[in-house]
Amino acid sequence: MNGIAVTGLGIVAPPGIGKEDFWKNLREVKDFTSPITSFDASAYPSQVAGQVRKLETGHLSRRILKKMDKFSVMALVATEQSLNDAGIDLAREDPYRVGVLLGNTLGGWLYAETELRDLYQEGRDGVSPYNASAWFAAAPQGQVSIHYGIKGYSKTVVADRSGSLMAIGYAVRVIRNKKVAIALAGGTEAPVTPYALLCCSTEGSLSRGPYRPFDRERDGFVIGEGAAIVTLEDMESARSRGARIYGAITGFWSSCDGSHRIMPDPNGMGLAKAIKKTLDSAGYRPNDIDYICADGAATWIGDLSETRAIREVFGDYARELPVSAPKSMYGHLLGASGAVDLVSTLLSMQEGVILPTINYRTEDPECNLDCVPNEVRVKQVKRALIISRGRGGINTVLAVERS
Amino acid sequence: MSDKEGKIRGFFAQFLDMEAGDIDSGANLRDDLEMDSTETLEFIVALEKEFSIKISDGEVTNRHSVFDVVKTVEGKLG
Repeated sequence: MNGIAVTGLGIVAPPGIGKEDFWKNLREVKDFTSPITSFDASAYPSQVAGQVRKLETGHLSRRILKKMDKFSVMALVATEQSLNDAGIDLAREDPYRVGVLLGNTLGGWLYAETELRDLYQEGRDGVSPYNASAWFAAAPQGQVSIHYGIKGYSKTVVADRSGSLMAIGYAVRVIRNKKVAIALAGGTEAPVTPYALLCCSTEGSLSRGPYRPFDRERDGFVIGEGAAIVTLEDMESARSRGARIYGAITGFWSSCDGSHRIMPDPNGMGLAKAIKKTLDSAGYRPNDIDYICADGAATWIGDLSETRAIREVFGDYARELPVSAPKSMYGHLLGASGAVDLVSTLLSMQEGVILPTINYRTEDPECNLDCVPNEVRVKQVKRALIISRGRGGINTVLAVERS
Repeated sequence: MSDKEGKIRGFFAQFLDMEAGDIDSGANLRDDLEMDSTETLEFIVALEKEFSIKISDGEVTNRHSVFDVVKTVEGKLG
């Protein structure tokens, strides 16, 4: 098995915090989205979300926590889990050989919204001086690097909903290019706030619930919050230190549709190109793939174009290839979604199952993929693709292989 | 220690999430308590609100010690 090894998993998501809880609860196949409770969402068309509750932040002091938005806090919790899982003590590593590559879409909106409200109500003295460093997109990368003293090649990827999968893809390249030996890669997103929900609503992509990808009655996605951060290492280094290897990332590509500011190209040709290039970069043929973890945004054009892209690349084999969207259980974590999909795909591979697309009820003849409806399927998966897409026609694809 | 000094030191401890007894009078805000300029600004605004005083530019900076700050605030409380 070639590729870059995944040796640690960190996850903060609506089904659970930590890989054990996350996986145990996901295996029960439930809808983890629920009515929004952190603010009054009654005036919004979409009033449900995948929400993270009971976030343990024991390794962070109150003095640190007040300087950060929730999206940075979740990134720090997921990073700590990931490093512990990988058995890596960064104090023993060369800080210039460790990098942090994280994606997100919105930034720290809860912090920004709160401080803007205070600005208009109380004047400039009412605004926290940390607002400037708490809300911006690269804040989680900065906070993780400060917390662990990381000084190597790092990057924040803002590529709408495909940010975290793209960050992981770039992390793989950075390790391959020998710029770092260890990369913490993934994403974080905290969109369950009044303004963020409003922006997602006015864009026209949100469901009133339930979230039902590939279904003829689909009406968009439900937002979710959380973070997923994996520890990546060169395969040889991981083996030589006896690390547990969840799997390898073997291919990556990204493309743009260049067609519309929100919607993807309806024919999915940009995504088809990204899938083909990912297969090429991993050295796979289409028939080598056992499973696709889909973007499954459940927008009309989104699912249609994803289906067309998969049919274009896989031909007749697309009829028998399982393509599911587990995020239908807990919501679309926007810029963190690709990283969560990587974690769930690796855990699925370990157990020899495929997680389903839930809430599936009515077949759409235009989306006639095997979306693994409603129930876990027992199947050994050796090689999988993960698809993550963003507004404006951003397509990112990652290839993974079981260890 | 006067009541005023005790209140100011208690406020320091609460702000920094530390025990009051762990804060040394000679501690420098920047070098010992790791207060950067942003945190110092937050601290000044919080001091002004807590004690209903006005602190002018340069009266409290992170180059000062805990002792310096206590004396400055005590002086304003009269």
